[in-house]
Amino acid sequence: MFEARLTQGGLLKKVLEAIKDLVSDANFDCSPTGFSLQAMDSSHVSLVAMQLRSDGFEHYRCDRNLNMGLNLGNMAKMLKCANNDDIITMKAEDAGDTVTFMFESPSQDRISDFELKLMDIDSEQLGIPDTDYAATVKMPSAEFARICKDLASIGETVAISVTKDGVKFSTSGDIGSANITVRQNTAVDKPDEQTVIDLNEPVMLTFALRYLNSFAKATPLSPCVIMSMSKELPVVVEYRIADMGHISFYLAPKIDDEEMEDGNE
Amino acid sequence: MAPKRSSTALNSASGGGKQQNIAKFFGGKTNADSVNTPKIGAQASTSGSTGVQKKTAVASLQTSRPVAEVASATFSGREAVHAQPQLKRLRKAGTVTQTAATDAEDLADRSPSPSPRQENTTPAKSKSPAKRKSRTPAAGSPEETKATSAHPPSPAGRRPQMATSPAATDLTGSSADDEGQADRDDEAASNKRRKKAVLKAPASTAKVAGVGKSALAAAELHAKYEAGQAATWEAGAPVPFAFLAQTFTAIDATTKRTEITNILTDALRTIIATTPDDLLPTAYLLNNRVAPAHAGVELGIGDAILIKAISSVTGRNEKSIKEEAAKSGDLSSIANAAKGKQGLIGKVTANTIRSVFKTFRDIAKIEGNKSQDHKKALISKLLTASGKGSNEAGYIIRLLQGKLRIGLQEQGLLVGLAQAAFLERESAGRDTSSLAPRLEAAAQTVKQVFSECPSLDELVPALLGGPIKDLPKSVRFKPGVPIKAMLAKPTNGVTEVLDKFQDTQFTVEYKYDGERAQVHVDERGHVTIYSRNSEDMTGKYPDLAQRMPDLLAPDVKSLVVDCEAVAWDPKEGKIRPFQVLSTRKRKDVTVGSIQVQVVLFAFDCLFLNGESLLSKPLTERREALVGSMTAKPGQMEFATFKTSHDVEELGNFLNESVAAGMEGLIVKSLDSTYEPSKRSVNWLKLKKDYLEGVGDTFDVVVIGAWHGRGKRTGVYGSYLLAIYDDENEQFQTISKIGTGFSEELLKTLHGQLNEHVIDAPRTYYRWGESLVPEVWFDAQVVWEVKAADLSISPLHKAAAGLVDPTKGISIRFPRLVKTREDKSPDQATSPEQVAEMYNKQVLLSKTKGKAADDDDD
Repeated sequence: MFEARLTQGGLLKKVLEAIKDLVSDANFDCSPTGFSLQAMDSSHVSLVAMQLRSDGFEHYRCDRNLNMGLNLGNMAKMLKCANNDDIITMKAEDAGDTVTFMFESPSQDRISDFELKLMDIDSEQLGIPDTDYAATVKMPSAEFARICKDLASIGETVAISVTKDGVKFSTSGDIGSANITVRQNTAVDKPDEQTVIDLNEPVMLTFALRYLNSFAKATPLSPCVIMSMSKELPVVVEYRIADMGHISFYLAPKIDDEEMEDGNE
Repeated sequence: MAPKRSSTALNSASGGGKQQNIAKFFGGKTNADSVNTPKIGAQASTSGSTGVQKKTAVASLQTSRPVAEVASATFSGREAVHAQPQLKRLRKAGTVTQTAATDAEDLADRSPSPSPRQENTTPAKSKSPAKRKSRTPAAGSPEETKATSAHPPSPAGRRPQMATSPAATDLTGSSADDEGQADRDDEAASNKRRKKAVLKAPASTAKVAGVGKSALAAAELHAKYEAGQAATWEAGAPVPFAFLAQTFTAIDATTKRTEITNILTDALRTIIATTPDDLLPTAYLLNNRVAPAHAGVELGIGDAILIKAISSVTGRNEKSIKEEAAKSGDLSSIANAAKGKQGLIGKVTANTIRSVFKTFRDIAKIEGNKSQDHKKALISKLLTASGKGSNEAGYIIRLLQGKLRIGLQEQGLLVGLAQAAFLERESAGRDTSSLAPRLEAAAQTVKQVFSECPSLDELVPALLGGPIKDLPKSVRFKPGVPIKAMLAKPTNGVTEVLDKFQDTQFTVEYKYDGERAQVHVDERGHVTIYSRNSEDMTGKYPDLAQRMPDLLAPDVKSLVVDCEAVAWDPKEGKIRPFQVLSTRKRKDVTVGSIQVQVVLFAFDCLFLNGESLLSKPLTERREALVGSMTAKPGQMEFATFKTSHDVEELGNFLNESVAAGMEGLIVKSLDSTYEPSKRSVNWLKLKKDYLEGVGDTFDVVVIGAWHGRGKRTGVYGSYLLAIYDDENEQFQTISKIGTGFSEELLKTLHGQLNEHVIDAPRTYYRWGESLVPEVWFDAQVVWEVKAADLSISPLHKAAAGLVDPTKGISIRFPRLVKTREDKSPDQATSPEQVAEMYNKQVLLSKTKGKAADDDDD
């Protein structure tokens, strides 16, 4: 038996909005420690890992580990029927073939039950290693979202380069090019508005903007985003969900082939 | 329910170092360590279902090899990308011989290495001294090795595949290139001879005796080749698609026929020796088909959907892909480059030949609601699973477009299949001197049976199932599998016909102005009607199918007849021109809704009561035809014919035929056999306009245009026409056409052709530098044009090299006859036909008036 009651039901809606365009079907993992998901997009370019800890729920019960294979589009459809201030409870039997979402309005005068069919989904889990990244940038999530959106109107890819002074986003396209630099800024009183760079060595990686824009859909979940990069490794774009957990996106970089071009002639 | 999860955790705890982390990320569970010792980690045990665990284990066993290698490919994608062009250059330079040894050593170092990851990650920096050094053309081997190791099935596979031919030619002593050139010349010459010979000899005589030098050399190589060695997969395991992609690349890299055949033969042998089950899908992919022609199964994939798929797996925008494609016209290289540049996370199960083929068949089957989304998803999956370095993604795209363009023809494929099957299954212990003629004989047999039963579904299992000499027994012509129609050669006039058939008994038949129809009636009485290209046209002619059973003589159980379907006016009781027939709906016609009635003119009987008549003389086939059916006016009639040797009488017959609305006459040798798909000298066509201007009309493809001036402002004033060179897969210009259009027609054509405008000429167009059109078209529209005569022209490229070493042949004063909607661009007139017509014209003008001359020399 799995049962989890989330007072801030809007949060679950936001989580779904953030991942449903990236991954169509995924297995949710219910265990005593929490409710989590790891899934790769079908092109094997990005990966999403989400974790909502059990202690973040108002009530959490998980007798046995449980995998729930769900179509995220359909799940989002159901969650859309919940109001943002509704309390959402998820329930599933150990051997059942459905999961139930119960929405209660804060005043308790409206209670809805939605039952979603589970699916068999073949998926594999990657062990994600703890890595000491060459550079970690924490910045306001809205700022990050805006940069990605603006640059996508110019080019297809963005080169993100981190130095001790700041982080530079560059792109170019048919119509021209664009560079946006965000400086380290720790002076602000509110930590959420700071841009903090933790640098071991400068790093520059290039990514497809389409995926970053997709990640930015998680912006409503957190005021700041943490980007961790190392040479030739996927970037991690992490949104921490207060008191609950996090949602992290991994994106494989573009392979730089300039050297090939020099090398050939 | 039991939600499945196959889950493998990496033993990340022990790892630590950065390199290894990279491996975990990029290779997921697939680095060499984890493949060898798959760990069902904590996550998996939580899933609780044993079935799932078993599945994981099986999966990792089966796929370990390609998987591991793809993982490495993903990571070392950049080397693979490097290596490809490098390889080509190496081959050109002919320095590959050395490679084998170094290659092998290097591999020995590599393959058992417990942490190949390290090697695959470090060179990603690719500025290591070794890498630098290897870029100098002379030091080729390290580079080649990189390609091998970077790519899935390669290690051993690549070397023999890629290097066999040039390396082996080296062994013979002279430099690879010179020898290759000699091969080519030899081949070209023998091709020409063969083409000429066709004019004289009945084509069915197998030319086994004339085995050339190159064939002997090839035989020697074949005898030494050990097929199993090239395989990097275990016997019986699915063959990685990368192996096929490498074969494509190797074939694409050469223009020498013999070399293409050798590469193909080696590759097919490797498959027969290891996983014969994959021979059929391989043959289909090499033939760029998903089913036999008559099955009517087409992929039906447009560029738009391919662009969407490429976009979805590479993160590129559809719009920018579209723009780039409009410029270069080559989606395959865009796909490959985009795929090569995007890193991956985790495991990708490599494409295998059978998985690709199965997906293609699935794609061909998808229809209805959301079919485009579904197709896109399947294509995306294929692209995702494409490894780098062998242009896998590029070839997937080309195959889906139906434009493989590697210079491999169906005949070449048949030779490859024949040789491979023979060498693997029958040649053990034979000395090489007798091998060459035997290979040639095997190839002839396979070509012959395939012309009578053009279905790989029949041929390939038979090849694997028994000796080649038994093929004619098992792979036979039968109702339900159409053969390509026998075609007639154009002539210049009655005199020429008489010259050609001097000592032959011949008959003259009306050439009806309709559509070729091959009508099959099988043992169950089921009727199918096929076009000249073996497409199923039963849906277009349900009325013909319906009336067939009533026309059959009582003792007929099965039958195939060759006919012309002609539009019929039941009120007037006479036939109508082709233009009327072409207004008939093409598909899903119901008998009740038919506007254009059709009469069938039968002229040949190919199969009767379980027996093929293809090898019987025409006299006998005609008897069979008349005996098997009963003519009914307006339904089915026998083609009108006359047997005479008198010039006058033939001339009159021609006039009669024209008066009766015919296109002209077909002259047939009475003792000739039916030669499927051949434009044979045993059938000659005599068109009504033969006596004026050039003998035949030309089917040309419109590839460009100039804007009109003056009265023609706003439409195209003239068009650039091209013929299609099947051998080199090129469109070669033959003429500019600007006269003979009505204003109305100009408008219509302008509208039609505007749909095909492209930004730049295709790479496979050949045109004269001083005759560049203002607008280029995609090669789509085929016109039939008439012309006054042919001349050598520096402005055009048609048949360049065949008559004049550099100049092409142009046609003068072309006039548009009609748009040939029934012909595809690759069925346009060929350079050989143009050259032949030119030669004939030259000869005619020289020997004007002389009755007996032999124009074959």
